[in-house]
Amino acid sequence: MIDVLRGRRGGAWSDRALALLAAASLAFLFLPIVTAVLYAFNEGIDGRQTVEFTGFTTKAFGDVFRHEQVMSALSTGMRVAILGCLIGTVLGTLAGLAMARARSRTLRIALTVLVGAILVVPEVVVAVAILLFFTESGVQLGLGTMVAGLTPYPIAVVALIVRSRAVALDGALEEAAADLGAPPGTAFRDVVVPQLRPAIIAAAILSFTFTFDNLVTASMLSTPTVSTLSSYLYATVTKGGVTPLAYAVAALMFAFTLVLLAVAGLLYRWDSRRQGNSGSIVKLTGGDG
Amino acid sequence: MSTEVSTPAGRVLARPAAGPLRRLVAGLAGRLVAATPLTWLVLFFAVPLGYVVVFSFAYATFGRVTLGFTLENYQEALSGFYVTIFARTVRFAVQGTVLVMLIAMPVAYFAARKAGRFKTFLLLLLMVPFWTSFLIRVLAWKTLLEVGGPVEDVLNGLHLHSGQLGWIDSPTAVFIGVVYAYLPMAVIPLFVAFERIPAPMLEASKDLGASRWRTLWHVTLPQARPGIGAAVLLVMIPMSGELVVPALLGGDRGVLYGSLIQGQFIQSANQALGSAMAMVLLVVVALAIAVSSGVGRLLARREARA
Repeated sequence: MIDVLRGRRGGAWSDRALALLAAASLAFLFLPIVTAVLYAFNEGIDGRQTVEFTGFTTKAFGDVFRHEQVMSALSTGMRVAILGCLIGTVLGTLAGLAMARARSRTLRIALTVLVGAILVVPEVVVAVAILLFFTESGVQLGLGTMVAGLTPYPIAVVALIVRSRAVALDGALEEAAADLGAPPGTAFRDVVVPQLRPAIIAAAILSFTFTFDNLVTASMLSTPTVSTLSSYLYATVTKGGVTPLAYAVAALMFAFTLVLLAVAGLLYRWDSRRQGNSGSIVKLTGGDG
Repeated sequence: MSTEVSTPAGRVLARPAAGPLRRLVAGLAGRLVAATPLTWLVLFFAVPLGYVVVFSFAYATFGRVTLGFTLENYQEALSGFYVTIFARTVRFAVQGTVLVMLIAMPVAYFAARKAGRFKTFLLLLLMVPFWTSFLIRVLAWKTLLEVGGPVEDVLNGLHLHSGQLGWIDSPTAVFIGVVYAYLPMAVIPLFVAFERIPAPMLEASKDLGASRWRTLWHVTLPQARPGIGAAVLLVMIPMSGELVVPALLGGDRGVLYGSLIQGQFIQSANQALGSAMAMVLLVVVALAIAVSSGVGRLLARREARA
């Protein structure tokens, strides 16, 4: 009895310490995000961001939409992210399926090794490699090269998520479909894809945000005319310092991410309810690996 | 792909109509499924890396690179200023990873096992920074750490520091930045690892009389080890190649090896030296992975014996 009491009291002490640490970490994690949003409303001095809060204004947000280069970078960034999302999801899903199922062992191993390598090679190495590759083989940098350079990483991440899901699939369902006379294509579309859907949704969101947010590869491959929003902002703040405009764009991007996540969460819940299994947000993180 | 039927009898029964044409189509489709991503990844990942390997041995002369075989680039990459910055980068990556893990492990453990009905909400909160643009999260530290900025005010207010804070544009700011930036990367896999430990296992340990710390050391941590290993690599590898944080917070004094590699390709146009530096980083990362998987296997074997 005393043991139990002591155990419980000890537990309460360490649990409280853990809770405190978690709260402090959350504060640490959110501090810069809150700061960026707050300072987006700062007037600044002569269009430069200042540490002192010189006055509250929403002017920077209006400026964002009038700023030609920001708008053109936004449109490039969206185009790159949409293409990256399509290619990342489709090729990543195919790669994940092949890693789980391909008949040829060589193919399976080749894909697994490549995907593993992409995940562990530091991004700066990948970025200089792709730049070197394009310049030395005489390819003009543009939207296509940007998408090509940005996709290997999302493909690899998507492949891992889909593979872990595909390995866990119940083969009996496909056999049943085949026994009932479904050709392989139909069985794939009506039996395999629906089971993979949560993984594929997560994959699409990941691919989109990875390509949209990328800084290292995107700024290596950007040209004066083709630059994503992230790489444009990165270039302006490293060269010219921070402006209220930069924080306003940041705040808008943050709001957009929140909306996207909320939509994804709702979609996921709707989908899993329709499928009749309980949805867990952990799956959205690719946590079923 | 999915035409395999488990029993020979099943195969015969299942597909009496499967003609050779259909089988050919299915076989081709199966091969295409693997070949398309494979081709893409070889072309835009493996081949470019091959270029780096070739260029790392090339001769560099005044803004031009002549292919050939020399080890000069490696000598240069491992000497003087470059090796000093390389050492700093490795130190940052190791210290930063340790600090990130010290924060992330208890937080992830709390979120996964102790948060009760707040679990999902807490995980969502922890994921928001993970999904938020890297640029925004690091950029804001520029304002926070600026001379006369909020962090200086708070530290002065708490009497932890007096006068101006000289952290911005120095390695200190870069260190804070990398720890901050990679903390969410570690929390997510750790959360998954801690969440997956079956509760009966921990209860069994308690019922058998183990103290909380004993359970933590002998049950919880070994069970979570794959997740811990993954988190360490997920943090340490990108940290060792980091160049955005130094560019934003480090100024001239705070550069890391990644910044130098990029510089060789952009400003200096010495692709040969840059390639050799990239190879040095790659080899060190490969060694780190080998060591970490070796340690993991060793620990697992020791446990199996115990």
